[in-house]
Amino acid sequence: MSNSILEGVDAAGDDTAEKTAENTASPASTTVMSMQQALNRALDEVLADNPKAVIFGEDCGRLGGVFRITDGLQAKHGVQRVFDTPLAESGILGMSVGLAMAGFHPIPEVQFDGFAYPAINQIVCQIARMNYRSRGTMPMPITLRVPSFGGIRAPEHHGESLEALFAHVPGLKVVSPSNPHEAYHLLKYAATRPDPVIFMEPKSRYWQKGEVDAARHDTGGGSPTGAKVMREGRHLTLVAWGAMVSRCLQVAELAAEDGIDIEVLDLRWLKPIDAEALAASVRKTRRAVVVHEAPLTSGLGAEVAQLITQSCFDTLKAPVERVTGFDVPYPSGDLEDEYIPNIDRILFGIQRVLEYKRG
Amino acid sequence: MAEISFPLPDLGEGLIEATVLEWLVSPGEQVERNQPLVEVETTKSAVELPSPQAGKVVRIYGGPGDKINVGEPLIVFEVPDNTAGIVGTVPKEEAPKRRVRLSAVLDED
Repeated sequence: MSNSILEGVDAAGDDTAEKTAENTASPASTTVMSMQQALNRALDEVLADNPKAVIFGEDCGRLGGVFRITDGLQAKHGVQRVFDTPLAESGILGMSVGLAMAGFHPIPEVQFDGFAYPAINQIVCQIARMNYRSRGTMPMPITLRVPSFGGIRAPEHHGESLEALFAHVPGLKVVSPSNPHEAYHLLKYAATRPDPVIFMEPKSRYWQKGEVDAARHDTGGGSPTGAKVMREGRHLTLVAWGAMVSRCLQVAELAAEDGIDIEVLDLRWLKPIDAEALAASVRKTRRAVVVHEAPLTSGLGAEVAQLITQSCFDTLKAPVERVTGFDVPYPSGDLEDEYIPNIDRILFGIQRVLEYKRG
Repeated sequence: MAEISFPLPDLGEGLIEATVLEWLVSPGEQVERNQPLVEVETTKSAVELPSPQAGKVVRIYGGPGDKINVGEPLIVFEVPDNTAGIVGTVPKEEAPKRRVRLSAVLDED
């Protein structure tokens, strides 16, 4: 268990000849679990592997987190490794800076996306640039877990999408998993990085189950920092991350009923973005729609659209379309159904691209 | 499975008690969030209380005519261990619904 990432890499090197068999049967190392369980297991293994790793945040210790992501970890690893903090995000992240300076690998949690705001100063002014400021003598190996995005009928500050805000800050890496398998491997990978990583967990997907192959560090295009094609298609590329990936996969199934063959690209890493994977997909499909929950203006969809335009301008059949949330504060309660891109809004976006005529 | 107790909330204006008029759910029943649970009457008005969460009803407190003080148990739910007490609602997995259909002439040039 302690070497599962290394074993996974070795295994991938060994069994390239068995790819066909791999696709038809689940290997013995595969378990069906929820994303909550996958994240919990990843953190358990990180604590076991790295004696310098420490987990803390509001309710992370005794309660095991308001989403049960750290459930049982304090009982197993001790109150010195997994502990509760006061309700003060600036303190949680400020303490992370000090712990990182002292040689620890902090894995703090801010309980909800909207509670990252009180810690922005610590994240932007300290965590993101301490390595730069100290000429590499004070790296910040901090993995900041942020339950993110909407979809759970929560009140204000519990449904925000902050990827563009974080991605804009030099020195931070940003990643978001879309399913249990991705969650397990991306969190284990993030927690071994020497740099600060903002790990955005799609809270609406915590309870959906999926296969997790712990032995296979499935890295899509070959790089753990790359994007991943979740469904191949010929006519159009849907680009998404986090909770929107599964919705885009549903849309792709519906589009197939109309004879439209859609490719779904899970961006996974939102900083840095895998521009090569975007280019490879859209050179093939010649059309692209990017989908995100965050508001439209200055959202990450604009960055994705520009990267695609840069590499595929000559082959594109239509301008890149964006289907996103609206330029309003995230609404609470049932109103979120109107805010989050739904199946029909994504299909409309696809239709706009399909019927575009040049000149 | 874990049991979660929901006490009678403050129904506004500092009222300290309410009288049960009619239970709209019974023990053993699976309820959804926001489903009406019980009709109660205060000195101000009669109101329906919506369920704060989804779960199976284990126990209800008080029959028609009984008074319950604010903060005392009203109903107990049973929920799976891993989602007991989490913040927000676990989204339901529903078959995707659509109204928009796609049409395109795809030239393969």
